[in-house]
Amino acid sequence: MECHLVPSVCSYCGTGCGVIFEVINGKIVATLPLKTHPVNEGKLCIKGWNLHEHVNSFMRLKQPLVKTFGRFIKTDWDEAISLTADRFRGIIEKYGPDSIGVLVSAKITNEENYLAQKFARAVIGTNNVDHCARL
Amino acid sequence: MINKVKAWLEDGTVDVFLGYKEIDHHPLPHCFTRERIEEVADLVLSPARYALEKIATHMAAVEPDIKIGMLARDCNSRALNVLYLWNQLNPDNVSTLTVNCCPSRLKEHGDCSYLEPEKMGVYKKQVGMDNNMGLEDLDSYGQKERLDRWMYEFQKCIKCYGCRNICPVCFCKECSLEHDELVKTGPLLPEIPVFHMVRAVHMAGRCIDCGLCEAACPMDIPLRLLYGKVNQIVMDLFDYETGSSVENPPFSILGDTVTLKPKPIEPVQTVNP
Repeated sequence: MECHLVPSVCSYCGTGCGVIFEVINGKIVATLPLKTHPVNEGKLCIKGWNLHEHVNSFMRLKQPLVKTFGRFIKTDWDEAISLTADRFRGIIEKYGPDSIGVLVSAKITNEENYLAQKFARAVIGTNNVDHCARL
Repeated sequence: MINKVKAWLEDGTVDVFLGYKEIDHHPLPHCFTRERIEEVADLVLSPARYALEKIATHMAAVEPDIKIGMLARDCNSRALNVLYLWNQLNPDNVSTLTVNCCPSRLKEHGDCSYLEPEKMGVYKKQVGMDNNMGLEDLDSYGQKERLDRWMYEFQKCIKCYGCRNICPVCFCKECSLEHDELVKTGPLLPEIPVFHMVRAVHMAGRCIDCGLCEAACPMDIPLRLLYGKVNQIVMDLFDYETGSSVENPPFSILGDTVTLKPKPIEPVQTVNP
């Protein structure tokens, strides 16, 4: 019997509530609120309470899919990224860099947000950067 | 305590021991095992309570014969008694190490500081229920006022299901709170007061008054008071105190013999014209 109680941070919104995952034999079976966490003080909303369900969901995407002839085909990350880069390049050449916008998230780290805006400004060449917390 | 847990794990009294371990200043529930016995040195008594017995039922659901040891405050022991009664855990496979309890009306000197009453805000004082009110004071409000005050508390509900999810004695596979005929899942706001009434009815003879639901409620609804009232009815009718013993199950499962007799009903006083 392997039972671990793993402290973590809820991945749903930018609040960042503390949660504990109950992992039995390598599978997350339940989510508990972290009582001593300064953000949520032992309380959670319904999304936080059900975190383990989306981890275990059979609908969860575990690898990239590429839509080819109307169907999603599984592929690896290298191919998916190079394909996306090619398509981006094609769009920029045809319609200009301002035809692309980048939406970043409250639930990724500051550094990842920085990288995303850098990617938009320096690589794509547009100022179209927006954030879900500004909607 | 540490030596005892070590001895239990070494001589096979228990296969796993549920206690607390401090990680980054957070006392977290932790599962101590024989393979990593050196961790037992870090065993602590946590001021924050978690429903260890609920973790134990999850483990027993995977491996029914596993021998589980755990730290037990009073509320944990009461919850264990209820879980034994409802065949969720086998008492032969569970060993407990009794530890000091939270301060409460019954026990003033306890370790746990997470049950200290919070002060009521001005608005709540006017229209809501005091979470720390005694059951006897509840009747001091008139019927109409009491209903209004309860409805104020219920309409705050955001339907997080936290009260059910954290409850150590909630173990049903199919929950009435997700039943289409009673409480539909999905739509907000929840159907009040049906949501809370359904849960209150199911807590009769089951709630062990641990207060975890109220602590987990993001909207500060006085759930402990509500379930306390329901349990008081069970006490008055059947003389049954939930969690006090493993004998005398309050309600029978279909086919079982009923062991609990209702108290004799007092004859209704009729007024002669």
